Amino acid sequence: MSTEDRLRALLVRDFDLQPEAVQPEATLESLEIDSLRMIEILFCVEDEFKIAVPAEHAELKSRLKTFGDLAAYIDTLVAAKPRDPA
Amino acid sequence: MKPVAVTGMGVIAPLGNDAATFFAALLEGRSGVRRLQTRYPERLGARVGAPVDFDPALHFPAPKARMLDRVSQLALVAAAQAIEQSRGALDGIDARRAGVFVGTGMGGSETTDDGYHTLYAEGSDRVKPFSVLMAMTNAPAAWIALDHGLQGPALTYSTACSSSAVAIGEAARRIATGEADVMVAGGAEAPLTFGTLKAWEALRTLAAEDPVDPARSCKPFDKNRSGLVLGEGAAMLVLEDLGRARARSAPILAMITGYGLTTDTSHITRPSVEGQARAMRFALEDAALGPDAIGYINAHGTGTPANDPVETAAIKDVFGARAAMTPVSSTKSMHAHLLGAAGALELVVAVLAARARVLPPTTNLDVPDPECDLDYVPNHARRVEAVGAVMSNSFAFGGTNAVLIARI
Repeated sequence: MSTEDRLRALLVRDFDLQPEAVQPEATLESLEIDSLRMIEILFCVEDEFKIAVPAEHAELKSRLKTFGDLAAYIDTLVAAKPRDPA
Repeated sequence: MKPVAVTGMGVIAPLGNDAATFFAALLEGRSGVRRLQTRYPERLGARVGAPVDFDPALHFPAPKARMLDRVSQLALVAAAQAIEQSRGALDGIDARRAGVFVGTGMGGSETTDDGYHTLYAEGSDRVKPFSVLMAMTNAPAAWIALDHGLQGPALTYSTACSSSAVAIGEAARRIATGEADVMVAGGAEAPLTFGTLKAWEALRTLAAEDPVDPARSCKPFDKNRSGLVLGEGAAMLVLEDLGRARARSAPILAMITGYGLTTDTSHITRPSVEGQARAMRFALEDAALGPDAIGYINAHGTGTPANDPVETAAIKDVFGARAAMTPVSSTKSMHAHLLGAAGALELVVAVLAARARVLPPTTNLDVPDPECDLDYVPNHARRVEAVGAVMSNSFAFGGTNAVLIARI
């Protein structure tokens, strides 16, 4: 499953969002994801993707405007994650 | 004090998730005390407590519930009940003249307990993202203000076991002095966590589990009492300017007419006859009533060796010859000690007793204590012709004694 699909599933499961509303171009504002909700989403994302969201990215809100932006950002963190030792 | 109308009473408590169900259980002498399910139950010295049967999913969408410690969940639901019962206390108000005062002793103790467990026991470096917002002691008041648009003062009183009696007394004062039109006031507590139970256990104030029936572990005024039992829950009142309540034909359930507040300066935990008696006298003076006008006292009655004889002596000191004729009961024998929520819950009990003209009993009172020799309405509810005014006592560690008087 793509990062986007996994993130959508997480938002639907834990944040009462409708899957059809969670589209790449949907603004976070339209999904009622405010700064506080974003903190919680990133917490859940850390668990789901087994990544650490760097603290210095806490001001992400100003850069991430849409669900697509958020999925792309998480993708970069997943890609940067050291591979689990085989 | 100028009488202040009570137009709504919400209750989430052991034995009932609304005021009527809860009060009916008390009249039947039922107990909400049982063996608790917590973390490490085998490590608890005293395993009994009085939990509420409460499912947050019935009241909050999951994302909201996750932002709320249990104490705020209980507070919000009780407040919503009270506001609904008031049939429109908040309709057409000047929101700046409406506020909320909440008493809580321990605040968001479940969040604190969970957070420490995560960090220390599980070795994780992350706690829940909203831990601060959930654990902060003013969260229940803040959420009630937020959800109902109350823009006046939203204050939290934390005076241990008298917290919510203080919250109600102070809120009634705000209305009586004309500073506010409507106040939501009460208390909430959710202390049944492993860490909080262990802390109380360490103070050697918790009751031993009754070897035959855990439900009978709390025995106020009984010779064999061994301590208090912790309970959880919330009770919230809508207080309203009496003229306004009458003008809108609101259900006036009772009027708060007296509030007495004193502080013992003798000891951090040991109660004082003088301080308790003075609080009762102040409340009577505030209500412009003599002791003969009080038809029922809901005692603080914790069931600790120290409290019960001191409270008995304080009542005798104030009521004199009337003391023997004044029914006093400790309903903590059934719903246990809700700490910061106790004063509010027990004021609700006193008001409902006055309205129903039935006095709830002190249960588990089988062996008389010569030092506790008042009429404690032992073991069975009592129907009476009339109750008159009622008094609710709340005395606290830290020495804050708060007494409320209400009449219907």
